[in-house]
Amino acid sequence: MAAFEELPEGCIATILSRTTPLDAGRLSLISKTFRSAADSDAVWDQFLPSDPNFIDSIISHSPSLANIQTKKALYLALSDRPIIIDNGKKSFQLDRKSGKKCIMLAARSFAITWGDDERYWNWIAMPESRFPEVAKLNHVWWLEIRGMINTLALSANTQYGAYLVFKMIDPSGFENLPVDLSVGVEGGNNNTKIVCLDSNVEPMWHIAGRRNRDWNRHMRRLQDRVVGLPRPNIRSDEWLEIEMGEFFNSSLEHEEVHMSVIETKAGQLKYNFFVEGIEIRPK
Amino acid sequence: MAQEASSSTSSKTISLKTGDGEIFEIEASAAKQMKTVQRLIDDLGDDITIPLHNVFSKELPKIIEYYKKDITGEITKDFEAEFVKDLNDDEVKVLFLAANYLDANKLFEFLSQNIADRLESKSVEYVRKYFGVENDFTPEEESKLREERAWSFRGIKEDE
Repeated sequence: MAAFEELPEGCIATILSRTTPLDAGRLSLISKTFRSAADSDAVWDQFLPSDPNFIDSIISHSPSLANIQTKKALYLALSDRPIIIDNGKKSFQLDRKSGKKCIMLAARSFAITWGDDERYWNWIAMPESRFPEVAKLNHVWWLEIRGMINTLALSANTQYGAYLVFKMIDPSGFENLPVDLSVGVEGGNNNTKIVCLDSNVEPMWHIAGRRNRDWNRHMRRLQDRVVGLPRPNIRSDEWLEIEMGEFFNSSLEHEEVHMSVIETKAGQLKYNFFVEGIEIRPK
Repeated sequence: MAQEASSSTSSKTISLKTGDGEIFEIEASAAKQMKTVQRLIDDLGDDITIPLHNVFSKELPKIIEYYKKDITGEITKDFEAEFVKDLNDDEVKVLFLAANYLDANKLFEFLSQNIADRLESKSVEYVRKYFGVENDFTPEEESKLREERAWSFRGIKEDE
């Protein structure tokens, strides 16, 4: 049985560079040699996205990053909070666990039907948003929002989910309203999910007494339209989100992924819906 | 004196002697893949039995098996999976150290990935035991590190 010698630091770094960012962070606690290996540029260079031009372009949006001395510190900074890029139209962050790219598209980058008409939609600043502007719905019958991302901006060989990020403040018209959310790669399959954007699962109206059977029947029929539909979840940044769909980025070619939010069938007015954007992150 | 490489290097075999005194034969072209062995051949000549003090009879045959497949271009994902399938953690570790000593790059890279896979999500204590490494941090240093790196402890089975 071979006597076990001290593993050279280079060997340790080779092994750690093939684990995950979480493993490398944690295993630095093993010993001083391990910490030195685990914190080394050789390891964290493997976790950062491999295209150097990409890193340079992100750093150019966030000058404080330019002074970062080590690859580990750069990785932690890029995965710590979103960086606004593209003139306020996108935000970028690395997923800390995996090193994969996450992008949020701002509402300003979307094609919103009637979006330029102040009667229907306003663009406002909200301090709780990461972007300079948020789309505020005053009222509209025809709700149609379309966004697009090129897979060039994302990490290869990754399954991504797209999530609509929004708030409702004194909303109306979204209760019992099925909405179509779609995600599809251009030229490929388009998958549509039917959801309800209202977080309240409890019915809003009383079921009136037996005397008002027509009313009860009418309300029950409305509520049936959204029974079992997915509902939004609250995010850690306190916005709501709901999954629109998913896609696999194979990296063989650069493709456009189209996403949409559509409700144009019910013919009812919808009010006070605030759209921050669509987040695209690894599943 | 180093000899000229013969024109039929592919059929020439080299003798390797392990640290526990056993002798194994290997094709010269496979020996070329292990830079340490090749350096010894360059210094000592290829007719002499090459001594490998830090590699033993338990692991050398496995290494030779790997490089036999390599020189015929037959290393596939299936072969690699089969190669490590029945190895326990200690055996992989020993092979890894031997590959490092022999400067056998391809095997070294492959085994480092395999070890990384075995360590994924394991606790600090588990990995310390696996490598047989002493904790040389003071309790204060360790708790400070744990605090700094709290983000890396999510979802870890600490008692494993």
